[in-house]
Amino acid sequence: MIKLFVIILPALFIGTLSAYAGPLITLSADDVHSPFLNAKGVQVSVTGPQASLLEVRLDEVAIQGKVWRDLHFSCHKFQVANDWIRCEDGLLKLSRSAPLPVSFDFSSRNKTLDIKIKTASGGAAAGWRLSAQWGKPAWEAMLTITNGEAARIAEFLPEAEQNLLPVPAKGNMNGTIKLRGAAGGLAGIEAHLAVDGLAFSDASGLHAGENISVEVNAMARRDEDKQGNSWLWHVDVDWPSGEVFWQPVYFAAQGHRFSASGQLDENTIRLREGKLVLSNIGEVNLSGLIDRPGNTLRDFDLSADNLELSTLFSQVLKPFLVNTAIAELEAAGQAGLQWRYRDGAHEFLHVDLRNASVEDGHGRFAFRGVDASIPWQAPGNQGSVKPTKATIRIQSSQLGKIPIGQVDIPLEIDGSNLRIPRLTLPVLDGELTLKNFSASRQAQGWVWQFSGGLSPVSMQKLTEALGTQPMKGTLSGEIPRVSYNGATVVVDGALLFRIFDGTIELGNLKLLDPLGPAPSLLADLDMRNLDLNLLTGTFSFGNMQGRIDAAVHGLELFNWKPVKFDASLVSSPGSYPRRISQAAVQNISSLGGSGAAAAIQRSILGIFEQFGYSEIGWSCSLRSGICHMGGIESEPLPHGYLIVKGGGIPAITVIGYNREVDWWELVNRLQRITQVETKPVIQ
Amino acid sequence: MRNPVYRFIFLMLLFSVSSPGYTQANIEIDTPAISSLRQSMQQRHSQLQPYYERGAVGLTRDGLVAMRDANALPLAARQPVNALIAAENQDRNALYREIARANSHPEWEADIRATFGQRWIDLARPGWWYQAANGSWVRK
Repeated sequence: MIKLFVIILPALFIGTLSAYAGPLITLSADDVHSPFLNAKGVQVSVTGPQASLLEVRLDEVAIQGKVWRDLHFSCHKFQVANDWIRCEDGLLKLSRSAPLPVSFDFSSRNKTLDIKIKTASGGAAAGWRLSAQWGKPAWEAMLTITNGEAARIAEFLPEAEQNLLPVPAKGNMNGTIKLRGAAGGLAGIEAHLAVDGLAFSDASGLHAGENISVEVNAMARRDEDKQGNSWLWHVDVDWPSGEVFWQPVYFAAQGHRFSASGQLDENTIRLREGKLVLSNIGEVNLSGLIDRPGNTLRDFDLSADNLELSTLFSQVLKPFLVNTAIAELEAAGQAGLQWRYRDGAHEFLHVDLRNASVEDGHGRFAFRGVDASIPWQAPGNQGSVKPTKATIRIQSSQLGKIPIGQVDIPLEIDGSNLRIPRLTLPVLDGELTLKNFSASRQAQGWVWQFSGGLSPVSMQKLTEALGTQPMKGTLSGEIPRVSYNGATVVVDGALLFRIFDGTIELGNLKLLDPLGPAPSLLADLDMRNLDLNLLTGTFSFGNMQGRIDAAVHGLELFNWKPVKFDASLVSSPGSYPRRISQAAVQNISSLGGSGAAAAIQRSILGIFEQFGYSEIGWSCSLRSGICHMGGIESEPLPHGYLIVKGGGIPAITVIGYNREVDWWELVNRLQRITQVETKPVIQ
Repeated sequence: MRNPVYRFIFLMLLFSVSSPGYTQANIEIDTPAISSLRQSMQQRHSQLQPYYERGAVGLTRDGLVAMRDANALPLAARQPVNALIAAENQDRNALYREIARANSHPEWEADIRATFGQRWIDLARPGWWYQAANGSWVRK
């Protein structure tokens, strides 16, 4: 509104000159220049009976770089006397605005100016009033706004701002703005404004607010101690109600407050003692320096001691993490934050977490009881980096279904490189040790690697945790290197399981897109010398005695389900008792479907509980959901394939005839067989 | 069918044969990745549908979806719809990439995207918005 006042005053001045020059005056100027104001296409005319009709047209007015175009002011009851000028029934119009009724009263004797602008809102008392008084040496002006419509104000904003800012559609403004000055110009501003029911939006709707109530109390005064145009300012903003969407963040008012002091001159805006109170999140202290006129941030300090992580994450951070692996987090606990930004660059960031917990919405991981102090320091000017050490303690965590005990992470931070020399994670009754962990941020995202080992974890505890068939034995392994290149986890070396008195080696392990929507796993499994007695006992398959070697090569899991592999199962070399029970024979037969049991010596089957065999062999190549089966490779049959080759007394031979079976059908049959004694089959 | 574009028009017809959007799919190249993406897109489709109908979300000509007019949504819904759009586009990009990869022709991705982009628009229901070749939004 200060600007509006300034527009009217020069217009008045020109009008006054021309009015004294004669009864019917027209004054035109192509360009009017002054340090404060430039105007183009100026036309002033005073016409009508007793020079009572004033018309002022300005094609363009620029004040301090802000431009208004097509300004038209007319006054139908224009009166001029020796020491006063009066205008009633005036109309002010800008290019895009509806006309505003304006009247003014100027008295050179009393040294007063009174301008009234009525806005056509339904209310009785809606409008703007500017009262100014001047004498020597000071002057004072007061702008009073009563039910000023925000939408009307927007029409009178400079053109650049109209295109830049979302346009208010609704809302009323009440309050006062007090200006005081001396011969040198404006010396102080004091504003108390309350906005009610404000709604605004840009064309796309990506920056919009509704039903907003805001109270602003601001003051600024010229800094007498400084040369030039330097100002000291203070502002308090209260936001009790309303909602704002400012892509990508949505905020509903819950009593958020902001206050700040500072300094302003031609070159800089300085922010001091800024305090942002976000209800339900916490208090943030701010200070900084902005370079004008480019409005670039030069220095900034942000500190917050006690932020509520749950609301900080859900309201502020989450919208920025859409489509990342950590978008669906639930966080709790307290966080502290310190950020220092100097000369346009990050210098220091310190994050504190107190009793924090983070849980993945998909149940993939969880960290609980996290206390951490994580300092980060930017590399120095010559690229020299000051490494910092973070201390992180996690009381318990969960990876998938596997619980992990208390962990202390000695994290070394070196610019954008992270290092953990050694880390021990208690996993069930064993330990996972990570050595030489290093991570860095590259063009394709974060990459990391480590080596390590797993000291024996009991299979009983592991299968309990995973909720699968209970097994005995241990799981252990040496991991020469695990690396992640931004998309794939590659495990060099092999994990070794010791179960069923034999070994299982898991090698060539690769995990594609591990935290994505559809992770894939590639691996080779080699099993040696598994005790069939233990194995068949565990899975209630029907007793078998002997030892087998099994291989699952080229295993591909997509979304944790097998899509491709070449599996084979053969009797281990060596000398050991080889017996197979009647139940196991029947189960093996039924696995292959109806055709598989054809060669079983049925008459003998009914008589004996146990049979001898000399060799077992079975293979399955999974392709496109179909398992292509085969038997003992060294014993090809003209029709079918040999699964169990008889030996000893009584001997039994099992031949399969079906070479293809639907994989999921096979899995269902296997589940029916192995679960029949433990729980009912639900299909 | 030597021309990959025609090949994929054919596939698209199979892919979403009976209704707008992506239901009743019966695609020939049915890798686990593609079916997983299809499933996730099908589930999301019912969430996106009201926003297509309101004109808040439209179909772009490069086979993705975009916020066309956020003003058609309450303020509180704009951020979740943004997230929905981002997730849908992630799946769509992955789908085009995966179809090309599954056919051992990664270089087809652009053709596949263009074909799908046009096909989504053809299958859109009346009243939905799509982006014309010149980038402007058109109501079907």
